[in-house]
Amino acid sequence: MMLALFLFTTPITAVTNQAHSAMKPPEDHRACLRCHAMKTLAYRDPLSKKIITLVIDPSGFEHSVHGQLNCRECHEQHYQRYPHSERARAPLHCVKCHEDGKKQAQHQSNHQPPRQYQFTTIEQEFKRSVHATSDEPDAQDFNCHSCHNPHQFQRSQIGKPLAQVVRDDNAICLSCHEQRFDSLETTHAWLPRRDKHWQAVRCLECHTPLSTTGQPVSHQILAAADSKVDCVNCHSQDAQLLTRLYQYRSQEDVARTGFIAKAVFNDAYIIGMSRSPIIDFIGLLMIALTALVLIGHGWGRYRAAQQLSRGSQ
Amino acid sequence: MNDPAPVKPLLSHLAQRRLLIISGILLIVFIAYRLFYPPLFDAYVGKTNAPLTYANSQTVTPQAFELLARDLSHQARYQKAAAIVATDQDPFARQVKIEMLMNTASFVRDTEPTHIKYFRQAGIRRYDGPKTCLGCHATLQVTHSDGRIETVNTLDDIVNSVHFKFQSTSSGFSTYGYDGRAVNSGQRRIPVGKIDRACGIPGSFTWTGWAALVKSRPDNAQGAIEIRSEGCGQCHIGGNYQPATEKMMPIGDVPNEAKAGLDCLICHAANYDMNQRYVIQDEYGLRWNQDRSLQAALSVAPVTNDNCLRCHQHNMGGDAYIHNQAAQNLGEKHRRLLHHGAKRGNPFSPEDDRHATAGIQCTDCHIPEGHKIPRGRLGVDLVANDLPNKEVSCEQCHSQLPHNHSKDKALLNGHITRLACETCHIKQLEENNVVLRDWVHPTWNAEEGVFQPTDVYRSGAVGTGFTFLWFNGNGTFLANALGNHPNHNLNYNPLMQQMVRIDDAGAIAAIRAKAQELKRQYPEIDVEQYVRTATDPLSQLSPELLAKRQAMIEANLRSVMNQGESRIYPFKLFNAMMYEDMGNQGPFGAMILPFDYASYYETGDPKAAVKKALQDPIVQRMYQLPFKLYMMDEFMAYFGVMDGWQPNYPLVNGELKRVEAHWMRQMGTLMVNHGIQGRGRECKDCHALNGIMNYEALGYSPERAAELRDLDVLTQVELPFVDRK
Repeated sequence: MMLALFLFTTPITAVTNQAHSAMKPPEDHRACLRCHAMKTLAYRDPLSKKIITLVIDPSGFEHSVHGQLNCRECHEQHYQRYPHSERARAPLHCVKCHEDGKKQAQHQSNHQPPRQYQFTTIEQEFKRSVHATSDEPDAQDFNCHSCHNPHQFQRSQIGKPLAQVVRDDNAICLSCHEQRFDSLETTHAWLPRRDKHWQAVRCLECHTPLSTTGQPVSHQILAAADSKVDCVNCHSQDAQLLTRLYQYRSQEDVARTGFIAKAVFNDAYIIGMSRSPIIDFIGLLMIALTALVLIGHGWGRYRAAQQLSRGSQ
Repeated sequence: MNDPAPVKPLLSHLAQRRLLIISGILLIVFIAYRLFYPPLFDAYVGKTNAPLTYANSQTVTPQAFELLARDLSHQARYQKAAAIVATDQDPFARQVKIEMLMNTASFVRDTEPTHIKYFRQAGIRRYDGPKTCLGCHATLQVTHSDGRIETVNTLDDIVNSVHFKFQSTSSGFSTYGYDGRAVNSGQRRIPVGKIDRACGIPGSFTWTGWAALVKSRPDNAQGAIEIRSEGCGQCHIGGNYQPATEKMMPIGDVPNEAKAGLDCLICHAANYDMNQRYVIQDEYGLRWNQDRSLQAALSVAPVTNDNCLRCHQHNMGGDAYIHNQAAQNLGEKHRRLLHHGAKRGNPFSPEDDRHATAGIQCTDCHIPEGHKIPRGRLGVDLVANDLPNKEVSCEQCHSQLPHNHSKDKALLNGHITRLACETCHIKQLEENNVVLRDWVHPTWNAEEGVFQPTDVYRSGAVGTGFTFLWFNGNGTFLANALGNHPNHNLNYNPLMQQMVRIDDAGAIAAIRAKAQELKRQYPEIDVEQYVRTATDPLSQLSPELLAKRQAMIEANLRSVMNQGESRIYPFKLFNAMMYEDMGNQGPFGAMILPFDYASYYETGDPKAAVKKALQDPIVQRMYQLPFKLYMMDEFMAYFGVMDGWQPNYPLVNGELKRVEAHWMRQMGTLMVNHGIQGRGRECKDCHALNGIMNYEALGYSPERAAELRDLDVLTQVELPFVDRK
């Protein structure tokens, strides 16, 4: 229902470029993309007043997790002609394909990394989510596609810059909750330097419970009242909330820039430290200066002692 | 010898003297610049400046002032009340309601023209042009598009705007020379705009065609002569004897007496009498009169469409357009000559444009910054642009998803990727839209009593009056839309195809008929050759020039065509037969020569009119070295003539040398953006065998074109997939 702002947030390259790609898309795409690659194939829904986009960005799709599928593997029927049959409007569900261990086994047989998420778990979490339980009219018909565009979806890869992870994930929330950008908005007024926080952490860190299922992030989005309104959850030695963001930091990255550098000066600072790179830097500077003074003092005393002993001879 | 060194002065005597001499020279240069440069410049370009007076700028008595105030207030209240009750009941009931409203206290308070009160308090009993306005409005707060608010000098703001200068030396144009350079993008910038370039429907330019009095002999006047007004100055706000030529130079300014001739009220007064706009002659020369009555000044109000359309309907709907209000009032004397053929034929009026019907004001889309008014980033013609980076577009209001009603709304929105809104929402232009105009073979207009250029072909229809071209916002120096099919293929080459060929059978037949008609008057016309050159202007080029043209398009323009993302836009087509200076010819045309309006209209002898216009001092200067070096060489480079401007004056001993009559080598393509119809085209208007789109000409392969012409194929998803490379 609310794939909404993808139209404006995703740069879409022309359909003509797709032929140049090494990964040739499955053959029946062209018939569909004749219309669905039009960058402005969308309309405003008279009921919800929201923008319904029907655009498939060919290159975005190719690089998505579903990029190797034929359109008709998911959209099985009712699409023979334009205009499509009313029945084509029936929603598709992720869990229908992703429900059992079959795909998981396929993944393993293809030597792909094992799935981090179980869709049945996701479904259970989602059922408890405020998006599913709310009576708000805006939350009616909320489903997987409200947040995840199946034609664009890519897993957040380890090694992707954290700022990018934060930006991309928050963009999903803000595509509906755009009123949070309003500078006069008060719901997050308790957060000091609100905008800085939003650049550095994901909405999810506070608005989901800690996952008990071993999955990185729970799909049970918490209502405002149930969410964490507490600095200590992040700014403490045991900052459980923030650790899940750091799973995307690659070991190689840590190794390349040096563990100390990474841990002290990385994008979000070391857990439990001051959280301010300036203070961190000043602290290190003071330690270094102290060490320097100590070394200087010791060396001075050594030289003085040597001269004394030479003078006495 | 051991005396302490004397205290050294800061500067030695020599240095002091030098400093004094230099200051003296600077002072002299400054005085010379202020005192002697202006008259010298005027003498050089043959222009005049003198104090400007207007007969209708009169002082009124306090009593007359109150009478005027009462009438204006009454008129304003009546108009507003009538608009409010326009759709109510029967005429009598409406009249009663109007009378009630007009005497309702809050209505009176909100409707009274504001300047009545201001003038009354300030004791202003005479309107004296900018002087009166600047008394209160000396400075102006300008809100820039980035939100910055700046206070500017009002007079400087308007004097340096395109509305006054008609040219600009700034960069940021989307116009490219045929040499491939963006106009004025480099260090060397030349003034470009209307001032030194023929009008969209040429004939003259502002230097030689500013203001003219023409003796007309209408048939129904039985030989009596009626004096008529003509000239570019009628649409421009300077009141002096010529356009602001001084502004074309890197130094110098328009003299104060010329600035005092600014016509503030034509844009700012609700009640401006267009009957006051005619050419007057005084001891210094010809100039345009304006309405400087106190009545007009008292009616000053926020700018509305009526203000802009006093001049701009001329180049949209045209002078002959029945809803052109300004053209109903041609002058209390020396009536202005109407231009019967329309430049674009896309009127902006409540009758013919959806936006005007909805009460949208020009400035809602063309959002001014002070007196600088944007015309958008897409520019196909080389007309100066005060705010070249400011967008004016449909999307600003309509977003990219404007279609809400149709069952095909998503697909209609989808088409916006490739089609401009105007492509579907302008279905025709006015019938009198001029496509081919012959200035060389004038015809007698018995009703007006003047010789006029012959409109060889007029059409407002799709395919003949206007056509569709790929457009990425860039244009050439001679107004040719640039763009390309998104696959950047080489088949799309409008400068060798669409813009140089008329192949519609009906159009060709009409042109032939007109040529035969002209032959009766001009026996030397070879009808077949006439039709050939008019419909295939490239046939006038030698094979060498033709080859050079093709090479220059590929080398210089192809990359400009491939920039950005092109969409299909409608373009009005236009070509003219003019006298040209063949000493300055290139693959894209030669320098066209102006006509003296009075002799053209009166005698119908175009050659004599060219000779007369060539004698204008500024045209003579054009053919001399300083002008060549200052701007003409650069001008010609943009024009596609790479070996510079040949300053060989084409009038030798009263005879024209190297001057020939030709059609321009390609049609100009003018953007049409007004005359928007609410209901656009249907799918089948384009996607059918006899549809309006020439897909092959737009660079589609024959197979793809066939597919695009078959709605059944297009709406079918399950097809045997054909490889279309």
